Amino acid sequence: MIFGLRRSVVAATLLATLGAVVLAVLTWKGSQVTSESFLVTTYIGLFLGALWAMYATGLVVVYTTTGVFNFAQGAIGVFSAFLYWELHVNRGWHSILALFVVVCLFAPALGVTLDAVIMRRLRTASLVVQLMVTVAIMVLLLSVVGDIWEADTPRRVPYLFGINNGIDLGPSQLPWHRLIVFAVAIAIAVSMRFLLRRTRIGTAMRAVVDNRELAALNGARPNVVSSTSWALGSMMGALGGILIAPELGLDPATLNNVVIIAFAAAAFGALRNLPMAVIGAMLIGLLRAHTGAWLDFGPDFRFAHLAVAPLILLFVVVALPQARLEVGRLAHHLRRHERYTKWWEGLFGCGVVILLAVVFSGGWLDFGIWDPGAWGSRELNSANEAMALALIGLSLVPLIGWAGQINFAPLAFAGFGAFVYLKLAGDTGNGYWILLVGLLCAPLGALVALPAARLRGLYLALMTMAFAQAMSLIFFPHPWVMPIIGTGRQFPHIELFGVTFDDRRGFFLLMVCVFAIFVYGLVLLRRSRYGRRWMAINDSQAASATLGVPVVWTKVVVYAVSASMAGIAGVFWATVSGNVDSVQGFDLLIGFNIVLLVAAAGVSIPMAGIFLIFIPLFKGFGLRLEDAGNVDFLVTLLDIMTTYGPGLMVLGMVFNPRGAIFEMGRGFSPILPWRSDARAEIAAENAQKREPEIGELGLERPFNPEEVIAIDRRLGILDDVVPKEGYGTARS
Amino acid sequence: MALLEAEHVVMRFGGVVALDNASVDVDPGLVTGLIGPNGAGKTTLFNVVTGLLPPTSGAVKFDGVDITRATVAKRSQMGIARTFQKLEAFNTLSAFDNVRVAVEQNHRAKWKHRRVSDVAHEMLGKVGLDDVADVTVGTLPTGSARLVELARALACRPRVLLLDEPSSGLNEEETSSIGQLLLELVADKDNDLAVLLVEHDMSFVMGVCARIHVLDFGKIIAVGTPFEVQGNEAVRAAYLGGDEFRGAYAEMDE
Ligand SMILES: Nc1ncnc2c1ncn2[C@@H]1O[C@H](COP(=O)(O)OP(=O)(O)OP(=O)(O)O)[C@@H](O)[C@H]1O
Ligand SMILES: [Mg+2]
Repeated sequence: MIFGLRRSVVAATLLATLGAVVLAVLTWKGSQVTSESFLVTTYIGLFLGALWAMYATGLVVVYTTTGVFNFAQGAIGVFSAFLYWELHVNRGWHSILALFVVVCLFAPALGVTLDAVIMRRLRTASLVVQLMVTVAIMVLLLSVVGDIWEADTPRRVPYLFGINNGIDLGPSQLPWHRLIVFAVAIAIAVSMRFLLRRTRIGTAMRAVVDNRELAALNGARPNVVSSTSWALGSMMGALGGILIAPELGLDPATLNNVVIIAFAAAAFGALRNLPMAVIGAMLIGLLRAHTGAWLDFGPDFRFAHLAVAPLILLFVVVALPQARLEVGRLAHHLRRHERYTKWWEGLFGCGVVILLAVVFSGGWLDFGIWDPGAWGSRELNSANEAMALALIGLSLVPLIGWAGQINFAPLAFAGFGAFVYLKLAGDTGNGYWILLVGLLCAPLGALVALPAARLRGLYLALMTMAFAQAMSLIFFPHPWVMPIIGTGRQFPHIELFGVTFDDRRGFFLLMVCVFAIFVYGLVLLRRSRYGRRWMAINDSQAASATLGVPVVWTKVVVYAVSASMAGIAGVFWATVSGNVDSVQGFDLLIGFNIVLLVAAAGVSIPMAGIFLIFIPLFKGFGLRLEDAGNVDFLVTLLDIMTTYGPGLMVLGMVFNPRGAIFEMGRGFSPILPWRSDARAEIAAENAQKREPEIGELGLERPFNPEEVIAIDRRLGILDDVVPKEGYGTARS
Repeated sequence: MALLEAEHVVMRFGGVVALDNASVDVDPGLVTGLIGPNGAGKTTLFNVVTGLLPPTSGAVKFDGVDITRATVAKRSQMGIARTFQKLEAFNTLSAFDNVRVAVEQNHRAKWKHRRVSDVAHEMLGKVGLDDVADVTVGTLPTGSARLVELARALACRPRVLLLDEPSSGLNEEETSSIGQLLLELVADKDNDLAVLLVEHDMSFVMGVCARIHVLDFGKIIAVGTPFEVQGNEAVRAAYLGGDEFRGAYAEMDE
């Protein structure tokens, strides 16, 4: 403790200040700072901060009252902004009317629907499922926006009251729009604080998240409470989206990325403290405005000033105190069942995959739909892309599937792998360097995980997201990292064992082999002590720690392993297209889709990676069908499947958190002689389902002893499930 | 000097004082009991001793060394192991693997000359779970999962074993065999083991414990042999209810 502050806070603040000063001195533009220009920059910063504060307030309200961190907050804003544009600009409604309809009717309805259909069921789900589902909603909302409002039409959302009306500030103007935004944001934050702290419903809202059953006994109605907070959160997202759209333009991706800044702001308030979140938002706003105005990072780092949010998040994560290991939550969690893939099953599966690949790419079989022998370069390209994505997907298996940690940045790690490869083997294509790529990517994964590994899992998820953004803003655009030389191929064809894989078919086969090696390696890893330990920290970190497992270190190691796999996959991914654009030009959405698909497939099973091949394969297939003639319907269907498929599949996790592959294995178990374990499990679960339902809370008649036991079991009260003679003798 | 000592531990949760200047000491070679009504702070004391909760004030000493600031994993390596009242078994792993994780973690320090799987099987055998070694713990009944936790704790080769209501979910026969096992473990001079046992089952406690600490509203109100504790006025008051409020409490319990 120093001046009553935690040591980590002081250290992080000193470090951040020092870094900021050094950076400022190095990149000072040299333009004159007048009191006017300073004032103008400050008010722009405060205005930006106010907008982010609005998003952050929504996030904090929903998180404190329902325990779900809503990644879709930004997408709700995007959808609302487009809807507002449609009503106000396209249909000519009055702005107030359109605003009212979107913010006060549409947004709450959306929030309540989301809560009733999906979110309510996530209360007991694991963090992975919770996050995946909100990310899926984000991706789905953005896809819907993309489908309804075609991207090529230019659109603008006007400022409320126009940009030119406002208070005169000497050299510039303070438009009413910005003034109103500021006032509204502060008003919302203050009233939410009041609602949560000072009102009955607010107290109920906060109580429900801690102990639903207890709160219900005290008269709170948990469903009403969670619907209320989702409605409120969604309204704030909508308002934020509509008000920020005039500044940023009506582009889904740009608008959606705003939410990352809101995440950083919310983290500034430890995700629960509203005033601190608002202060965080303002701080980010001011930093953004002032760095933009006074600092110049040069052409090589032309996007660096946008990276304030990831850096703030890093600062917060370093400053936050170590999280307590939670105990006693396990009873509320869904029980997951896991089984080892037997080594021969793994070998067999890999063999089949390789065989199929050989058959397809070699064109030895005729399926009647098209002549496989005539696989054009386009189809092979899709297939190659598919395999590369599948490899990246595999890197998530140990991390998300086994250790239960989240990584939204598999593409950033892949990109880093591609970069390392380019530097090492850029002119020869010598494939042996790939091993070194794997080694060099591991420390990066560890580095990303290190600051947040001692915190709750959510912070790690946010850190990976911030990392992905920082990489795409600062690292990849740098000309030294990914130099674009002429128009030719920058990533050489891989050469291994004296063979140059310059033919797409051969390269495809190579990747299939690598895939098989990865899968088999994972099968072995899963059976090793490392795999066991990762599963253990996923099930209970507290118990693992009391057995002597160094939990933080274990998490860091999983990230390192995952990053190393992703890095190797990145080499193949970059080699498919051959130029650096593919590495530079990814957006967060593709990363999200990869994570979603793997999660939906059932990420704890290595074969889940194979699900990723569907997107590019469907695309290639669709193109092929289009060429073949009149199959519009199929093309549309495939198109819908590729855009909405991952999101919809993940929504399925609400009901089946174990994923598609698991359920498939379950489904086939009656005919697989060696899966007696699955059959036994099904039988046990059916028996559990037949347990008698508890009556109407004992209002009509008192509970009988069996019912008391059943209630205890439901509520996770585990003591004395079997009443015994002699129990409590001292009492009576 | 006692092997494990909690000295004047205070633990506050906001307004709730879960532990109020509580001191407990545990000696090797015997089973020490820790009893008290619901909410007395027994589990909280375990959390403080194992490092899952940092105490508001007070100290925890192990073998004379102050470990109040040591990490959970460090304390485990020193020889403190525990089970949980609310199950914390690794539900996705088999019973065998649950124990194996613990053995592997302590292999170099404590089981050097033995094979991991041998030790794991031995521990499962001790608690009588040989037949379900390959069953996923999530599908086992509560009582068996509790025994898995016990086997897992034993696999750490502890010097102090903290058990939080090990008998709940077990039938009488299983309970008495656990009692037997505990007595055997502490009697074995090679183990040099100390056991701290939290239990609601009074006949069980009185049967195996050599010394008992009684906790009430976070305070230690009595220490002594089972016989002394049973005759203690304060203990009777705590359990039966002295004042009005506690009377209501006792009524609720019945
Ligand atoms: N993490 C926590 N946050 C807030 N209060 C807590 C927490 N853990 C325990 N408490 C409170 O501390 C008090 C002691 O709880 P504890 O679980 O230690 O009692 P116990 O003696 O183990 O009871 P039981 O016999 O029911 O297991 C209770 O009032 C409980 O509500
Ligand atoms: Mg307890």
